[in-house]
Amino acid sequence: MKKLKTKIGMAAIVLIALLGFAFMPAPKKITVKGSDTMVILAQKWAEVYMKSHPQAVIQVTGGGSGTGISALINGATDICNSSRPMKQSEMDKLKERYSSMGVEIPCAKDGITIFLNESNPLKELTIKQLSNIFSGKTRNWKEVGGPDQDIKLYGRENSSGTYVFFKDNVVKADYAASCQTLPGTAAVVNAVSKDKFGIGYGGAAYAAGVKHCAVKKDDKSPAFLATAETIKSGKYPISRYLYMYLCNRPTGEVKAYIDWILSAEGQKLVTEIGYFPAR
Amino acid sequence: MKRITNALLTLGLIVPMLVFSTVTKAQGQVEELKKEQDTLKENVSTLRDKISGVEERIATAEGDLAKLTKIKLSGYIQAQFLHYEAPNAYPNNVFMLRRVRIKFQYEPVNGVVFVLQPDFVPGNITLKDAYVQLNDRWLKTFSITAGKFNRPVYEVEYSSSSREVPERSRVIRAIYPDERATGAKLEIAPPKLPLKVQIAVFNGNDGLTITDASGANINPVNNDFDNHKDIMGRVTYTFKLGQIGALGIGAHGYYGAVKANTTDLLNSDYTYNKSLDNIGKLIKKNWVGFEAQLYFDFLGGLALKGEYIFGVNGTPGYTSKTTVTGPQVVSNSKNDTLFLTTTTSVTTNSRPAIERNFSGYYIYLIKNIGKHHQIAARYDYYDPNTKLASDLIGVNKYNGSVAAKTVDTYTYSGTNPVIATNAQTKTTVNNTLNSGTADIKYQTITLAYSYFFDDNIKIMLGYEIPMNKKVAVNSKGVGNVTSSYTVNGVPGTLDYSSSINQNTLTLRLQVKF
Repeated sequence: MKKLKTKIGMAAIVLIALLGFAFMPAPKKITVKGSDTMVILAQKWAEVYMKSHPQAVIQVTGGGSGTGISALINGATDICNSSRPMKQSEMDKLKERYSSMGVEIPCAKDGITIFLNESNPLKELTIKQLSNIFSGKTRNWKEVGGPDQDIKLYGRENSSGTYVFFKDNVVKADYAASCQTLPGTAAVVNAVSKDKFGIGYGGAAYAAGVKHCAVKKDDKSPAFLATAETIKSGKYPISRYLYMYLCNRPTGEVKAYIDWILSAEGQKLVTEIGYFPAR
Repeated sequence: MKRITNALLTLGLIVPMLVFSTVTKAQGQVEELKKEQDTLKENVSTLRDKISGVEERIATAEGDLAKLTKIKLSGYIQAQFLHYEAPNAYPNNVFMLRRVRIKFQYEPVNGVVFVLQPDFVPGNITLKDAYVQLNDRWLKTFSITAGKFNRPVYEVEYSSSSREVPERSRVIRAIYPDERATGAKLEIAPPKLPLKVQIAVFNGNDGLTITDASGANINPVNNDFDNHKDIMGRVTYTFKLGQIGALGIGAHGYYGAVKANTTDLLNSDYTYNKSLDNIGKLIKKNWVGFEAQLYFDFLGGLALKGEYIFGVNGTPGYTSKTTVTGPQVVSNSKNDTLFLTTTTSVTTNSRPAIERNFSGYYIYLIKNIGKHHQIAARYDYYDPNTKLASDLIGVNKYNGSVAAKTVDTYTYSGTNPVIATNAQTKTTVNNTLNSGTADIKYQTITLAYSYFFDDNIKIMLGYEIPMNKKVAVNSKGVGNVTSSYTVNGVPGTLDYSSSINQNTLTLRLQVKF
């Protein structure tokens, strides 16, 4: 009888252990989707975080800020990266779907850099000149003090937050039909590096192999290059925050990850990648 | 020595021959290479032409694609099963398509949007939205909309594809029938300020059922019914509550009127107000509403939304006059008198117009649980006549009828014989309006659960419990307001002195794209 009791006891312990194992929560995968501008930074964050937190699984994909925000509204991602603030219409959709205003977390600062080919003698442009160039009103470099050659425009696809930010804050009109849209800032940089008369825009972190063009707010203002100092001080006229968006206040592993991104360790990576800390 | 000489001579002959042969061979190879080079050049040139052709085709295709991206298509279908508990409902369970909508949006240039949204519900295809919107491209603050579009009210603008319960609240359904109206709207929404101002001018009669004496709707196509244009205004502002949530507040006003369509106007309590100069005079449709929406992050999304609306809502009457002239009857009853009788019957069927004071409100409590579940409860109240206590509904009435009155008019002519012409005029006026079902207040509780299968598919289970305010009982022990019905040949009566079960269960499947 005693043996039977022992056997039953042992069986119960094994059963409880098995049940416990079966119901043990699997490590939650955190999905991050959105801005192509932020994709290198987001991948670096994920890579470093997963090294120090082996139980964490973080999956990062790009696609553009608009795509990321749509994914957040659809419930297809936990975190959305966006290089522009969420639009009111997008916030309304979030309200309708989740009864929530969403959570906006500025996680880095960036200056949209104007890329020129290294052989281009031009050094600076005003916001007005950039607007005229990208809207197609100015078509020859001669009109802005450059060589007598046609301007070749390279930009981002309309799902990109950089596309929207640049359009809203610089072009302030429709982009010229001749502007070649490319998937990602890296592609823009690559195109401009091969085109003597090309001009493009994108995140500062990608600007290798091309020349940076200094930007002036207007004719009378001094020209500034996108540097840590000018972006932080707000002197560079095309600077912006980079954001993470969530449906609700983060909890659990997502909260731990975001807290780490905003910590000194996470913000150090921002500088390493070529952006600027949010705080 | 001789041998050496011979050997040298032989070598001298062989070497040049070899050299000649090698050179000839090399020349041949060079020529072959040149040919190959020429062929390659030709091939490269052909390829270049082909690539140029492909590039041109791609450019054309990109141009066409760019045009296509200016067209956006969206829409949704709501298929549902309804079970009505009301005793006069037959059939009391039914499958139906509530919405079958496709929205076409075309933006040819930045800032100009054309929208067309038909509803393809079988047997009742209608055009719900048709408008053009011009957005200010410089300040991104102003927009002008013209055509047929939603009236600027919170619950009206909130699409039924997003709504957390099956139907809109009773007060909104009563004062904004069909939700949409034809007119123009100016919207001011500064991009960096959570403020929105909407000012709209409408025909004002869209969706109103205005009946004539026979009960037929004389406003079926919603063309304008009068010269008066109704004005609406709405202001909303959202306060952010840090990362906790947000509070949106707002107010809207409606300043309108509708043609009385009769000359008698009643007060809300059915007393006589005044006689109007003509049936084209206007009666009031004026009200204001105050709204608030609180979004709060408490273990996921939580929302509390409500609106209170009160004012005066005029209901037009009708007047119709029928004149029937009877056949002339000639009789010679006396030797010297000829009677020629003309009978004219004039019947006026009228119903007075009435301006009812009303009030109503609704409160939603919505909780999202995870990404897939949502529960919602709504309490809504609508008193269509705040000036008439429940015990007076069915009692207060207006009776301006005049019983049939006959006037004989004789005209004599001639001397011998005397001819008398008798014209007889019979006048009847029917002009009544009784308080009744249109004055009964309702409280409605709606409970709903929604399951979001994914972004496109939503399943909703809803239960609506309307509760009528009980009217008084008359001396015969019957309610002052009753309504008769017949289901399958079996007559029945709804007696509003008791609670009438009008509950409805809805199971809805919604697909949105």
